[in-house]
Amino acid sequence: MGEADDGNGAAAYNYAHFDVYVAAGGDVADEAAFWASPRAGQRAPDFTLPRLGDGADVTLSDLWRSKPLVMEFGSFT
Amino acid sequence: MFIYTREAHPGENVPCHDSFERKLTCAKLLREEAGIGRDILVDDLDGTVHRAYGLMPNMTWVIGRGGRVAYKADWTSAANVEAFLERFLAARAEHPSRATPVMYETQQAEFRYPDRKRFAEHLLRNGPRAAAEFERAQQLWARRPTP
Repeated sequence: MGEADDGNGAAAYNYAHFDVYVAAGGDVADEAAFWASPRAGQRAPDFTLPRLGDGADVTLSDLWRSKPLVMEFGSFT
Repeated sequence: MFIYTREAHPGENVPCHDSFERKLTCAKLLREEAGIGRDILVDDLDGTVHRAYGLMPNMTWVIGRGGRVAYKADWTSAANVEAFLERFLAARAEHPSRATPVMYETQQAEFRYPDRKRFAEHLLRNGPRAAAEFERAQQLWARRPTP
């Protein structure tokens, strides 16, 4: 992805400038996406991601199979 | 478990991710500096998992045993998550009446008290540009019409 990004790809997701993202309404759209995401009682989306450190593939449904799973999302800020 | 997403406030020191390798490097740095002891899973460069769960920068979800959403909050409060988990686990235990629990759903306003000084330090850690851009974003928010 690069200059030819369609607006929904990796370059748009990984915006370079927070103020430009806010000016374009990105924060408003993302909040709407949160409320459009699965609700309490609905099935949680399942994915497999690499674990930092050993790179092992971890599948979310393996983690919530036998006990509740707390998932915190974040970055440096 | 912690899922590393895009950088919410990219700057000169912690830039936006232009490759998965860079994302991994930033995730490692975060683990070291924030001292995160939990497992960290790294989302892909497109933010596939972040998108599926709703794109908020500091959110927490609890998924019940078996895979149904039990809790979602657009901001992470450890105290709030802990209080919820206590109620949630108690509800799953056998009730004295042996009645079967029936789920209902709530949406509540919660309040937090941002530590402005600490947040400003984090922005500067990412880079002076991250701090300047947040300042401009605040001006944009101030001009937004109230819904």
